[in-house]
Amino acid sequence: MNEELLPSQQIFGLHGEIIISLVIVFIIFIFSLIIFIKLKKADPLAKPKGILHLAEIGVEAIDNLVKGQMGWRFKNMGGYFLAIALFIFLSFIFGLTGLPSPMSYYMVPFTMALFTFILIHFNRAKYRKWGYFHAFIEPFAPFLPINLLSMWAPIISLSFRMFCNSLAGWAIMSIIYSALQSVSASIFAFLPAGLNTIFIAPFVTSWLHLYFDLFSSVIQTLVFIMLSMIFIAQEGPGDEEPAAVKAQA
Amino acid sequence: MLVDLVRTLADVGTGLLAIGAGIAIGVGGGMSGIGEGNICSKGVEGIARNPEAEGKIRTGMILGCALDETTGIYSLLIAILIIFVLA
Repeated sequence: MNEELLPSQQIFGLHGEIIISLVIVFIIFIFSLIIFIKLKKADPLAKPKGILHLAEIGVEAIDNLVKGQMGWRFKNMGGYFLAIALFIFLSFIFGLTGLPSPMSYYMVPFTMALFTFILIHFNRAKYRKWGYFHAFIEPFAPFLPINLLSMWAPIISLSFRMFCNSLAGWAIMSIIYSALQSVSASIFAFLPAGLNTIFIAPFVTSWLHLYFDLFSSVIQTLVFIMLSMIFIAQEGPGDEEPAAVKAQA
Repeated sequence: MLVDLVRTLADVGTGLLAIGAGIAIGVGGGMSGIGEGNICSKGVEGIARNPEAEGKIRTGMILGCALDETTGIYSLLIAILIIFVLA
């Protein structure tokens, strides 16, 4: 891709978005560490208070979502999906600061979609073993080229959804910022050149940030994790829970 | 007068690129709008027929709208690429 199209500059050889995504991973790590330390000191039989209560609500919500969408065989994947959801949500929210979000560098959403791709094929191999190759000629043999091409469709659609939302949002916001700076400079022309561009943009762009950053991030996170769940659950056998496993829970 | 007309037409390359970008976003956004209108109309009709299932219907509606929005945003990306890279 053309170097001027990427929103950010290179700092120490890495693009700005990569550094910010590492900072976001670090923030999630610190948050999880705080919850872990409080968890170790808490009484398991008492009611949780404060941040532990929120953590319990969050974990229960994601576990119910995973169990409802994917069935009983995948019920332990809640941890993975919560981590991915927190990373994607915080990456999109970062656009509120005015800097381009990490999702506007194509490698970041591509990696997320690559995880889903690897999980799909791993689960297909796990539940069918050598029947993995039979999946290419389902439902009947002339579907082979169609199945070979549609194998790559989840990666491209999942990654492009987040990438295009982020990049197009950044491009529209930067156009509106520069347009409003020119309007403000022409209205407040009696002020010196550095000061006369800052008056009109904040009142208009705050509402646009509400749509492009907050609303878009919630929707894109939910869509990514629900589509990943549906793709991965399709590779499982799709059977009912046997009574022995249900009695243990 | 003819010289002025030639000078205006000499920029026909940029004009064609602008038409291309306009058609890309117009058709892409229009089709996306039609699709989302269908999704929301069926969704609201479903809620009207069965108000207890509102939560599930709303979740499905938002998921469908996000999937539809994707193709509209693909065309927005192409229009932005045409304007900023080719011209």
